[in-house]
Amino acid sequence: MKSLKAFTFIALLAFVFILSACSSDSEAGGEGNGEEASEDTIKLTMGSWRTEDKESYQKVIDKFQEENPNIEIEFKPSKNTEYNTILNTALKSGEGPDIIHLRPYAPGIELADNGYLEPIDDLEGLDKFPESSLAASKGSDGKQYGVPLNISTTQIFYNKKIFEELNLEEPQTWEEFMEINKTLKEEGYTPLSLGTKEGWLLSLAHGMIGPAHYGANEFVDNITAGETSFTSDKFVNSIKAMDELKPYMPENYEGLGMEDIRTMFFTGDSAMFPMGSWEIEVLREMNPDLELDFFPMPSAVGKEPTVTTWVDGSYAINANSENKEAAKKFLQFMTTEEFGTMFTEEFKMISAIPGIESEDQLVNDLGKAADENSTPYMVLVHFAGGNPSTKTTIETELQGMYLGERTPEQVAEAVQKNAESWYKPLQK
Amino acid sequence: MQLATDSAKEVKKQKKRNWKRWSIHLFPIPALIIYGLFVVYPLFAALTYSFFDWNGMVRGDFVGLKNFKDLFTLEPFSGYFWNAFGHNILYFVLQMIFQNGLAFALAYIIFKKIRGAEFLKISYFLPRLLSVIVVGFLWKLILNPNYGALNVLLEKIGLGHLQEAWLGDPDTALIAIILVNSWYGLGFGVLIFLAGFQSIPKELMEAGKLDGATGLAMVRKILIPLMIPSIMIMTVLTFIQSFEAFELVYAMQGSQGEPYHSTDTLAVYFYRLAFGGSTGGSTTAVGLGSALAVVLFLFISIFTGLYLKYMQKKQVDM
Repeated sequence: MKSLKAFTFIALLAFVFILSACSSDSEAGGEGNGEEASEDTIKLTMGSWRTEDKESYQKVIDKFQEENPNIEIEFKPSKNTEYNTILNTALKSGEGPDIIHLRPYAPGIELADNGYLEPIDDLEGLDKFPESSLAASKGSDGKQYGVPLNISTTQIFYNKKIFEELNLEEPQTWEEFMEINKTLKEEGYTPLSLGTKEGWLLSLAHGMIGPAHYGANEFVDNITAGETSFTSDKFVNSIKAMDELKPYMPENYEGLGMEDIRTMFFTGDSAMFPMGSWEIEVLREMNPDLELDFFPMPSAVGKEPTVTTWVDGSYAINANSENKEAAKKFLQFMTTEEFGTMFTEEFKMISAIPGIESEDQLVNDLGKAADENSTPYMVLVHFAGGNPSTKTTIETELQGMYLGERTPEQVAEAVQKNAESWYKPLQK
Repeated sequence: MQLATDSAKEVKKQKKRNWKRWSIHLFPIPALIIYGLFVVYPLFAALTYSFFDWNGMVRGDFVGLKNFKDLFTLEPFSGYFWNAFGHNILYFVLQMIFQNGLAFALAYIIFKKIRGAEFLKISYFLPRLLSVIVVGFLWKLILNPNYGALNVLLEKIGLGHLQEAWLGDPDTALIAIILVNSWYGLGFGVLIFLAGFQSIPKELMEAGKLDGATGLAMVRKILIPLMIPSIMIMTVLTFIQSFEAFELVYAMQGSQGEPYHSTDTLAVYFYRLAFGGSTGGSTTAVGLGSALAVVLFLFISIFTGLYLKYMQKKQVDM
């Protein structure tokens, strides 16, 4: 009896002790870090969704530290698909990394508008960037919140070997493009590596194919000014064009996702791959012998062929950071040509800093093509807002069209209705 | 004198006993703290969130029941809700048939002591040991339309015309996922039912046999009534699991319940509302998401409660 009572008591005491030990421990730890930081080195953390770039980022950070030995930066990426959730939750509770990798356009701007980010209008070097790049992280209040990091582009990749074998040339018009599709099919290849199982592939493809039919930038200017609509002939035609490509897509395309269509392309089953610039590295890694090239999307309405571009990410500063000045220094480093050159070489992506040359021929050509004749990825750049977003709506509706549940006209109507629900210029 | 000390001792003893009785109640405290922090608190937080207007992640004004109203009346939210709700019901019905029905039959066969019963028991349970994400990935490979094992097999045995883009066709995608889920949960059902069979007194069955009950009659008249507790447990668990179905859909079809929302469930829809799409392409609606979470919680608890009450009555009648 007695021993039981004693045990109860001890157990309770132990529990209380553990609790207090825990709390005092963490307090002590916290204080220790703070002191250390203020006395000698400043420690910054950096959040990102690019887990695959950890080594490259380390090189960039090392370079930065050569000039700023008292600032230490820890690159702490989280998984691409979980990054938003992790970041949002952390920011909500007043935490999160000091330097934040910002999603482009609506989701990033949402963070700025909610007051989680520090404005950086006075940052040196921002004037290098064109207005269109800065727009990716400009708050609704007109202030700048992020330094643009890289430009993504979408275009049609093609297998040079197959094209040479069949004597095909890069198309200059939509008709030529369709002709190529036909020839490839007759020769037993799958012309176009595109699947509809994952919706994002469809808005991505429409971002390339659409401008060829709605007339690229002119239409974008008109619709963002509220002067035309998604139910206009121009836009409906762009949806119809997606429908016309059906026969040239792989068998069972409705069940194919990203992995599948990528595999079809690098194994040489299919000849063309409408995809983004970030896949170049992956494709080369999967099949080093693949002879890879690209062409801009040829127009159906007599305009120049276009490469679709947008800012893929920016870097911003956490408004709750205790070391904003140090973080600013790093952001400023990200606007320098030194960084831009290093970035293109290390990451094999197109730097958002204009005029940076790359040693990689393909990346260089792409950068040039994008400089010459680019059109924005419209639904991402201008229509990623709303709930569900217009971008999501067009993805779902296109999926419906490929499954035979929707006509192109119905798709256009649904997109218009969704955009009207939140996009001011389209509200009458 | 003697009497006084005796009564003092008695009081002391009484106190001791009281303390002992009382101290027992302290033991659940650690568990209660954890439970409160991770279950009760979020529940009430979601409830309060659902009464507010949300601008992204910042809480706006108190709007009363507007979020609930929007969830049920405003397009496209109401459309998504009923679409997902229907899928959850189908999930439950098909799980009951394929997972629990099959598990019941298999458990009965194993109970009848066929050869290799132990081996079978373990094999049925094996999938359960894998992570759901792994299961989802494996079946995605198997069901791939162009190189997946299922379609290749169909081709090989001359049933090529039955080939399908199983996960890409809205008519088959949801059913495929439910069947994968049933495969995954089968072993657990077998274990529960087997335990149920084993707890039935042997004498009852012998008595039944003497009275001439054989085969199906035995199952219907003796086994099933005595298995009511196991059936009840499995039904409730399946019900809860069906209405919270998330992982497999998310792993195999993404946060949009693709294709064309044909595999959307309430939990996936909730994820989409509260946390946005997975690739950073869409904004969040915390208020609507919270309202949906509250509705889901109420629905599951009310139905589970009613069902348990009904079944308990049935047991007493027996």
